[in-house]
Amino acid sequence: MTVTEYFTNIKDTATSIFEGMTITLSHLVRKPVTIQYPDRTPRPVKETLPDRFRGFLKVDMEICTACLACMNDCPIDCIKIVTKKDEALKERVLTQFDIDEAKCMYCGLCTEPCPTGAIHFTKEFEGATEDLSSLLFSFVPENQVIIPYKALKKEKEETVNA
Amino acid sequence: MLKDLVFLGTAVFTIASAATVAFSRNILYSGFALLGTFAGAAVFFILLSSDFVAVTQVLIYVGGVLILVLFAIMLTSKIGDMNITNRSINYKIAIPLLLLFLGMLTQLMSGGSWDFGEEKFQSMVVPIGNGLLTEYLLPFEVISIALLGALVGAVVIVRREIK
Amino acid sequence: MQQLADKLIQHCALLQGLPHELTYLLVEIVFGSLMLMLFVAPFAGIISWVERRVAARMMDRIGPNRVGPQGFLQWLADGVKSLLKEDIVPSSADSFLFRLAPYLVFAGMFMAFVSIPFTSRVIIADLNVGIFYIIAVTSLVVIGILMSGWASNNKFSLLGGMRSAAQIISYEIPAGLAILVVVLMSGSLSLQEIIKAQGAHPWNWFIFDNPFSFCSFFILFISSLAEGNRTPFDIPEAESELVSGYSTEYSGMRFVFFYFEEWANLYLIAAVGVTLFFGGWQIPPSVREWAVGVHFVLPHILEFATFFIKAMSLVFVIIWIRWTLPRLRVDQLMAMCWQYLIPLGFVMVLGTATWIVLFPQGVPLVRYVLFSGTLGLFGYFFYRVVFHLRYTKAELQFNPFV
Repeated sequence: MTVTEYFTNIKDTATSIFEGMTITLSHLVRKPVTIQYPDRTPRPVKETLPDRFRGFLKVDMEICTACLACMNDCPIDCIKIVTKKDEALKERVLTQFDIDEAKCMYCGLCTEPCPTGAIHFTKEFEGATEDLSSLLFSFVPENQVIIPYKALKKEKEETVNA
Repeated sequence: MLKDLVFLGTAVFTIASAATVAFSRNILYSGFALLGTFAGAAVFFILLSSDFVAVTQVLIYVGGVLILVLFAIMLTSKIGDMNITNRSINYKIAIPLLLLFLGMLTQLMSGGSWDFGEEKFQSMVVPIGNGLLTEYLLPFEVISIALLGALVGAVVIVRREIK
Repeated sequence: MQQLADKLIQHCALLQGLPHELTYLLVEIVFGSLMLMLFVAPFAGIISWVERRVAARMMDRIGPNRVGPQGFLQWLADGVKSLLKEDIVPSSADSFLFRLAPYLVFAGMFMAFVSIPFTSRVIIADLNVGIFYIIAVTSLVVIGILMSGWASNNKFSLLGGMRSAAQIISYEIPAGLAILVVVLMSGSLSLQEIIKAQGAHPWNWFIFDNPFSFCSFFILFISSLAEGNRTPFDIPEAESELVSGYSTEYSGMRFVFFYFEEWANLYLIAAVGVTLFFGGWQIPPSVREWAVGVHFVLPHILEFATFFIKAMSLVFVIIWIRWTLPRLRVDQLMAMCWQYLIPLGFVMVLGTATWIVLFPQGVPLVRYVLFSGTLGLFGYFFYRVVFHLRYTKAELQFNPFV
């Protein structure tokens, strides 16, 4: 290291620190870009989410056909559907339709095979809880049964296809 | 009275930590116990109203020597596994040396007066500074040059040959 | 403090029965703990909030703003949270040393506060070896850090502890040299005497006394940053390489002790800098006369305010540096100390000594030139800041409270 280099190093250090400090000080008076989720956002966060956002799963029991496609496609088995033959109604009925949101990884594989679009994503995503079991959503009320949706008539389906 | 209490407390503390240094089986504990010994010595200097020496004691011994000792201990690999004991005491040499040392101490202690009375505290900074640069200038400079020589020598020894 | 104790003895019958030494001791302990509780502890806490807010704004964020007004009570929340946490001692750690280390670090820091002045009268003990004492007792911190590094039985802790000790020992030398410059100029080691040797006006401060003392301030400042393990010298706890350095294994209140030390150290660095180079609590004589006329406490309030504002400006600069400069490598750190600061420190000491011999009364012209030069530098600095803001067309918000 020559004498010139020595003093150039000192000069470079001083000037670069000087310049660096001007930049950080200029940032001190800039407007922060922080979004203060959840309560101090200019609009509710849910409104700002895109349409295809993958939040919690929801099942529209009115149009669920109990085909079990979603349960079979789920890679981590977070959907549990139980059906039985109801003697009184002489029909196959749903007795249990549980989705464990705590396990769900939001892959969307259950929504794709659904013939009616009954199982779908919502924009609900705030799942923080102290009790994991509260994330177990049951879509069939306990001790009740739900009759699955059936395609109405053959010809109607044909007209739709045509 | 308070001064005596402080003195006794510090004396016990200093001797206890000195004993830990000597008898501890863990060399690192010995190192850390030195802290107590050095700090105790600093308190004695304060009780003898020599503030500058006390602070120098802390600065040089605690801040310098002790840290270097600890460094050396920590950088020595597997020092915990080594069998370090003070068991091999050579009584034939130790006891005469101890007696000689005790005799010297007794001689010193009986020689001076130990009554400091109620003297007012006086700062030692100015007398020490003046002394070093007037009366004791030659020894001061000689020591400085000796230390400089030691420094240069250390650099020469550790320096790798640059080819 | 002795005057205060003497007055107390005069006015309080109970104390007259006691030996005077005991009263002095009691007064010192009470005053010392009061300062610890009422000044240093809240300061260390509040400065942690300040630092987080400033850091956030420098990164275009907001920072903690929920606990209390503008997040001001965040430090209390953090403290309470840490107190309630489980006190974990790793099973393979050296339990005794592990527990002892935080107290050594803590004690080393607070012992230094003993000789830090607040006003011309308020100081726990105006030691006549004041500045020397501060350098000496802070070395206790090094022992504590080494101890914590070893006792944790963790390679990151040990590395952090070793790095920290190596760094602090090395940087004590340039710091000592820079302090020596001031001691040469004031002829005293007592902090109050050093302040009294300076004037109230900026051009009478030691930093502007001569070109050598001007450079000495920067040497001292850089060395104190390194001794306080502050960025850019935070390699002992470099998060990206050492987890958290020597405090890796600590949790709960023991962990807080380390950080407490760090933030209290911030004030210590600033206070020593202000005392040595920026005229301490000095206020102009005319103001003092006016203040004494109003009420006898007023000059002390003014002095404290002067000192505190100066110290806080330095604290702000330290925080600001933390969010500007990247961390130095170990070899760069050592090169900076041994190749640059120490030789320059020697030059400054010799230069100042020569200057004092040549101009025992000082040269007013040099003082004015240095002072106005610094002002000019500040002007150019703000010009550059405005330039950056204009150049990026940034949206501005001057209000610090969002």
